[in-house]
Amino acid sequence: MSGIATAVDITLNSLVLGGVFLIVAVGLNIIYGLSRVMNLAHGSLYAIGAYTGYTIVSLGVNFFVALLLAPIIVGIIGLIIERIVIAPMRKRSMIYTLILTYGLMFFLDGLIKYVWGNEPRFVAIPAFMRETISIFGTHYPVFRLTTLVTTAAVMIGLMLFLNKTRIGMILKAASTIPEMVSCLGFNMNYIHIGAFILGCALAGVAGIVAGPLTTIDPLMGHEMLISSFVVIVIGGLGSLRGAVFAALLIGLVQTLAEFFITDLAMVIVYMMMAVILAFMPRGLFGEGKFE
Amino acid sequence: MSGSPSMPDSHTSLSPLKLIGLVVLFIALALLPFVWGNRFYISLITEIMIYGLLAMSLDVLLGYTGLLSFMHNAYLGIGAYVVGLFLIHVSPTSLWLACLVGVVFTGLVALPVGWIQVRTGGLAFALLTLAFGMMFYTIVWKWYGLTGGDDGLMGVPSPDIQLFGWSVGNTGNPAHMYLLTLFVVAIALILTRRIISSPFGAVLEAIRENEERAAFVGINVRRYKLFGWMLACVLAGTAGALYILCKGYIGPVTMSAFAGAGVLMMVLLGGLGTLWGPIVGAGIFIYIQDYISTMTEHWEIFLGIVVIFLVLFMPTGFVGLGNFFKRLRKD
Amino acid sequence: MNAFLCTDNLCRHFGGVMATNRLCIEFEKTGLRSIIGPNGAGKTTFINIITGRIPASSGKVHFQGAEITNKPTHELVKLGICRTFQITSIFNNLTVFENVRIAKQANSGGSLRIFSTKKSLKKVACDTWVILERLGLKDLAGLPAKNMSYGDQRILEVAIALAGDPEILFLDEPTAGMSPAETKHISDLIKGLSKEISIVLVEHDMDMVMRISDKITVLHYGSIIAEGAPEEIRTNQLVREAYLGKDT
Repeated sequence: MSGIATAVDITLNSLVLGGVFLIVAVGLNIIYGLSRVMNLAHGSLYAIGAYTGYTIVSLGVNFFVALLLAPIIVGIIGLIIERIVIAPMRKRSMIYTLILTYGLMFFLDGLIKYVWGNEPRFVAIPAFMRETISIFGTHYPVFRLTTLVTTAAVMIGLMLFLNKTRIGMILKAASTIPEMVSCLGFNMNYIHIGAFILGCALAGVAGIVAGPLTTIDPLMGHEMLISSFVVIVIGGLGSLRGAVFAALLIGLVQTLAEFFITDLAMVIVYMMMAVILAFMPRGLFGEGKFE
Repeated sequence: MSGSPSMPDSHTSLSPLKLIGLVVLFIALALLPFVWGNRFYISLITEIMIYGLLAMSLDVLLGYTGLLSFMHNAYLGIGAYVVGLFLIHVSPTSLWLACLVGVVFTGLVALPVGWIQVRTGGLAFALLTLAFGMMFYTIVWKWYGLTGGDDGLMGVPSPDIQLFGWSVGNTGNPAHMYLLTLFVVAIALILTRRIISSPFGAVLEAIRENEERAAFVGINVRRYKLFGWMLACVLAGTAGALYILCKGYIGPVTMSAFAGAGVLMMVLLGGLGTLWGPIVGAGIFIYIQDYISTMTEHWEIFLGIVVIFLVLFMPTGFVGLGNFFKRLRKD
Repeated sequence: MNAFLCTDNLCRHFGGVMATNRLCIEFEKTGLRSIIGPNGAGKTTFINIITGRIPASSGKVHFQGAEITNKPTHELVKLGICRTFQITSIFNNLTVFENVRIAKQANSGGSLRIFSTKKSLKKVACDTWVILERLGLKDLAGLPAKNMSYGDQRILEVAIALAGDPEILFLDEPTAGMSPAETKHISDLIKGLSKEISIVLVEHDMDMVMRISDKITVLHYGSIIAEGAPEEIRTNQLVREAYLGKDT
């Protein structure tokens, strides 16, 4: 492969990876921003998204239908979780909520293993997606481009939703001045539930689009959870702009690190996070306090 | 003001009766291996004490300073790997030197990590413990040449236990290891209790109670959080040294996020902010784990449910439950 | 900069809103200064900047001849700049005694004695009793702070602030939500303290402010609109307009 082809390859790969990070991290950020819950089970919901997608596709349903169904199912699981364990924690201290969602993460991981087993699974993608197309000399797989296009579409859709629709604007206002929004007569309870469902559904989307990229295994959620933390912490908690920047940065760094040293790639990502935070404790775009 | 009433502290010092009880308990535990030869149970109790020390060190952080560490087991792991590597590659007989190197090394790793963590605030602190914990996990898992990777660190020699030039036992002997662990854990518990009830401990509690207020009475919050973190990590490193001596082996699983959740559960089971509660919690946890994991392979589901249940219904743990029943009786 | 504490063109904006707009205020070494103004006038923001809770956007703060702008809170406390909060901020699960003692301890050293008992700091304990006695909290010393009445909690917060040996003490609405009797108690206390140290009071209770203040500064939209003795403020036309609107 020529130098240019390699460069194109790496660029596209890091965009694909960064896009998935971004969707997971934004989901986490939305839940945190609107209801001050940092959901550590978010990575597991991402994994459930991937597994659900796998099951739907293996039942013979079209991949693109699964792309719609999986987030809905994960959203419903999110609703159940919110009602049963998250809602009773509203008035409790942050530490307990963190521990609770940590327990939830292991519960869901155990459930995944119970339902789908320990063996890695592969999503059967449509034939045309298995082909490659030539971009500047590199033969790039179509399914990766599909992932890229889907993540971009989801992000654009989310932006339009938050900035152009009435509900979106209420949600945005609620994240900055919850008192005012509840004074205006909106039920904050519904906003919390809505945010949780939306966040979970985003994890589900990320799960199904990431499915074809790798093997689906019970540990995929853990890695994604940590990566999305890294994105959020580097970008600055609650900052959408920061999340976009950090996700793409980490996508690039991880792709490069995997290209050059394979095994310890993640360590490079963590080291980069440590260096950034040593100089900018609030992250790159963080303005407010973390608490 | 010599005539002032006794100090209205929320921590009362031990009553003589309790003190005698604890001394008797200690002596009984020390005599146990001489009257009960079951090697399996002696080793199990040793493991409980080691994890008890780890859970106690997490309690210093969570119950007294108000900081959450999801993967405190990482620092046990670091201590254990370093002690093991020292015994394998440097000197197979120098027990105390190996332990010292292991604990100091754990502290040296924890210092920059803690420094970064305390600067970012409470929530990010917790998230970062997970990220850094995963980093250490990845390192021991992937650095095959040094750590043995997935296979773990094997063939760690068992040095003699030397005291003042006398050899009093060998760490390979379960009874000897049990006694060594008992003494180290007892000393660590006494020292930690002492530190917690010192003026320094009062500062940690103030930070736990109200971080902003603490800063506005003139406490350098970040600095004291870092001190609390270092204390907890050094204790965890000590537990790590005992761990490798006891088992003669350590693998990356000990440093995984799942194992970290187990430590958290020990603290929750025993009760936050009690020091000895988490040691009891470790006993309950390891016993249940031994029991359940032989019955079901879906131990994760069980652990998750118990953690959720504890947080929802029993946030003060079994110690808190005891106090609750005491109050009921009084009413 | 000869004043005890003064601000020099201090600014703070939130987005496009100037919450503190080029404020230059001088405080004296003793006496009671009140800062009043309609809601949203920037009173709390102003004292938040001085006490290091939020950074200034621009401008400077000088204290006893040295610049202290944007210093960390705990350093400001060591210099003698203490405060209370609008929303009561105390150590809920500690006893009243422990609440005050930790504040005292933080300012008299000994916090790093990791192997001595808390009782070993005798001077700290004595000083704590003196403060509790002075504020009438001595009988409550062993009570967990969360079990106190609301009014007592407000007084405890003043006690915590006093334990920092302040040279200048900022009180953010100390009487908010208090009964008339409690208000009387705390205003007498504040008046007494102002003979020894500089007190800065942010308050909505106009009767109290007019009765006990030595000097009043009126803020409106982040700027000073009047400053002077209570009688002058009472008759000031700008102040009337700010509070009541132009027509009255």
